[in-house]
Amino acid sequence: MLHYTLSRLGLAVLIVSVAMLILFSMIYLIPGDPAAVALGPRATAAMREALRIKMGLDQPVWVQFWNFFINAWQGDLGNEVLSDRPVSRVVLEQLPYTLALIAGGMVWSVALGIPLGCWAAVKRGSLADRLVGVLSVAVIAVPSFVVAIYALLIFAVSLRWLPAIGAGEPDDLGDQLVHLILPSIAVGLGWVGYIARMVRASMLEVLEAQHIRTARAFGLPDNQITYQYALTIAILPTITLLGVGIGQMLSSAVFAEIVFARPGVGKLVYDAILTRNYPLVTGAVLVTTVLFVLINLVADLIVGALDPRVRSSF
Amino acid sequence: MTMNLSGVSRRSFLAAAGAFGAATVAVPRMALSQDGKVLTLRSYSDIQVLDPAFRLSLPEGDIITAIFAPMVTPQPGDTWDWKAVAVDSIEQLDDVTVAFTLKDNIGFTDGYGQMTAEDVKFSIERFADPAMESPYAGDWSALKEVEVKDKLSGLIHLKNKFVPLWTTTLPTAASCILSKRAMEELGDKITTKPVAQSGQYLLAEWVPKQKTILRRNPDWQHEPGGFDEIHIIPIEDPATAERGFEAGDLDYTWTSVSSIPRLKENPPAGSVVLEKPSLAYVWLGMNQDNEALKDVRIRRAIQHAIDRTSVVDAAYFGAAAVGNGIIAPGLPGSRDSVTYDYDPDKARALLAEAGAEGLTVTLDILNQSERLSAAQVIQANLADVGVTCEIKQNDSGTFWTLGAKEGDYFMNLQLILSRFSMQPDPSWATVWFTPEQVGVWNWERFNNAEYKDLHEQGLVESDNAKRDEIYKKMQGLMDESGCYVFLTHEVVGAIHRDTIQPGLKPNGESLLAEFKSA
Repeated sequence: MLHYTLSRLGLAVLIVSVAMLILFSMIYLIPGDPAAVALGPRATAAMREALRIKMGLDQPVWVQFWNFFINAWQGDLGNEVLSDRPVSRVVLEQLPYTLALIAGGMVWSVALGIPLGCWAAVKRGSLADRLVGVLSVAVIAVPSFVVAIYALLIFAVSLRWLPAIGAGEPDDLGDQLVHLILPSIAVGLGWVGYIARMVRASMLEVLEAQHIRTARAFGLPDNQITYQYALTIAILPTITLLGVGIGQMLSSAVFAEIVFARPGVGKLVYDAILTRNYPLVTGAVLVTTVLFVLINLVADLIVGALDPRVRSSF
Repeated sequence: MTMNLSGVSRRSFLAAAGAFGAATVAVPRMALSQDGKVLTLRSYSDIQVLDPAFRLSLPEGDIITAIFAPMVTPQPGDTWDWKAVAVDSIEQLDDVTVAFTLKDNIGFTDGYGQMTAEDVKFSIERFADPAMESPYAGDWSALKEVEVKDKLSGLIHLKNKFVPLWTTTLPTAASCILSKRAMEELGDKITTKPVAQSGQYLLAEWVPKQKTILRRNPDWQHEPGGFDEIHIIPIEDPATAERGFEAGDLDYTWTSVSSIPRLKENPPAGSVVLEKPSLAYVWLGMNQDNEALKDVRIRRAIQHAIDRTSVVDAAYFGAAAVGNGIIAPGLPGSRDSVTYDYDPDKARALLAEAGAEGLTVTLDILNQSERLSAAQVIQANLADVGVTCEIKQNDSGTFWTLGAKEGDYFMNLQLILSRFSMQPDPSWATVWFTPEQVGVWNWERFNNAEYKDLHEQGLVESDNAKRDEIYKKMQGLMDESGCYVFLTHEVVGAIHRDTIQPGLKPNGESLLAEFKSA
């Protein structure tokens, strides 16, 4: 297990380093002078040049990258261009909102997707199975921003049951939860389908296994066989899928944060790109990249812990 | 700013969630300002800099003038006028001298004492100081010095006559008074933590990207703010803000122009839809230094090829009228017509005369739905006269640097659909098209010495009839250059609860301190 853990950690560090290189290169391929965009129309050429120097844009690109690389590994993501606030602070202020949104989406998708998948597998070939199949594909096919807009129009604008914008009062958990309902549905609904399909496929395979047949032969109750013996094995591919799913939810979160005017890292990155706020873009994307890599690392380690075959392959 | 998710048991969490769920289903949400205590409105961006001399956006300027008392502020209503805030009196003694006396009971917070004429001198001279490198130094470009007469009064001496002083300098954040002592102690510009506030409201809380809360200043002894608190929610997308209003989460918001007809036809219950004339101007520009557009006959052909009415109707769903220049109606220099009409036959003839049949051009636009609709009609109009037009959409970061001489694209720029906003003085529109602005904001590279002379005459001419003549002549020169097809001044749309009375400038820009309960 130690060898497996170290190899996954090494891979994670490599992925983050490559991501930093790609991120830095992409930022510099975007046209537009960040100093001019940041300072607006009334800035003089001298002021723009001063800001370029302050942002380090006058230095050779490789020097800029090296500084960024070294500082980032030390946790220093620089300061925001205009307000001069530390980027790490700005990102960490927004991160809880995005994490709450993703967690909310994940709760919906797991709470609905796993039982639906199990039910469809147990009722294989029945009308219920076909209905779950159709619904799963339907929710996968609908983009999250469409879900977001319709959910907002129905539940916030027409019925006025739920708020349309914002994240709730910072010191009021109930208000935050109410504000989380619609965005988390928008982010998580598609994943109900993915998880249901994945769980159904895994369950069908496991339900045919020898130990399940043996359990049936011993006359154990169906529920115990399904949830205690079959699901614990069938869930493994789903855990890996959830790691990837969280990454995809991060990108869906951008739409949800814009449509519901929620604070969050997705919206922060979107705004920072439009204003060419390079330190903020690199810092925010880097934090989410690290988060994504960490989540996948944890998913890999869980799978490794549960399945000895995975550990032994390293 | 934290999310307090800890310290809650599973049982209490479920109980709270259940109770909230039931409550939200049982009771539809209501407007927030109904009790007259809290006003919730939308701004299109979050705050970054609350320093009057370094503000970055209109919403920041609005907040700054609410928390740092300005000498004067625009009068809310339909005509451009101003009213005193921090001054008891202010008057122009002659062309180059303005006398002022402060009210004698305005104080700064944080223990910085009473506002004095020394603070006025510091605040105004700070704007104009070249060492400060304020982007708004031009507002006080005519300043010679501020002379302190006594504790509360002084004289503003100008180097030369400066007519926009009373329209676009004093009634803006450029007349906000900061505490000299506080600023010297700070030693830097103000960002998001204001020191020594003095306005009708105080910045009470800022939750980044979520809300800014202004609270009524308890020590303000003059006309009070209309609400105990103003909550300002940053929402970039106007459609999101409109949905937020319809859901009862906002009391006031700007709307997109294209939403105005829909909202007017079917306004949400208990709301009022406003339409205000905008000062902005939208035009199709042509880069006269681009190889394909160097011949003025080609540019004039494009002027005649564009059906401006169709372009504006398509872009704004009939909500905006066609404009005839860069100066909005109601200001000196506003025109009733342009010198080119929609005449495709004439356009074809001019193109043939210039040997430019089969011309292909690019049209750069900002990636907004209104601009794209306008561009598509322009594309069709040009196709009708045999010109192929390729539309290039740009995000805002790219778009606003396309014509800058520091970039590598400015000479390839051909047609461009632009929109500028302005302050209520014609010089604010004409300044961007002077020869000095070529490659800065004059992307058409229109270069006319007579235009520049007229612009400078306009700055010192106080007779409105003469100013009207000057600015009309300047726009005539722009017509003649063939570089411009003037499209519209747009319109500003807003929607508010009928329980409030918004404080708005004639062009629809908000004045936070002037919002009242209805």
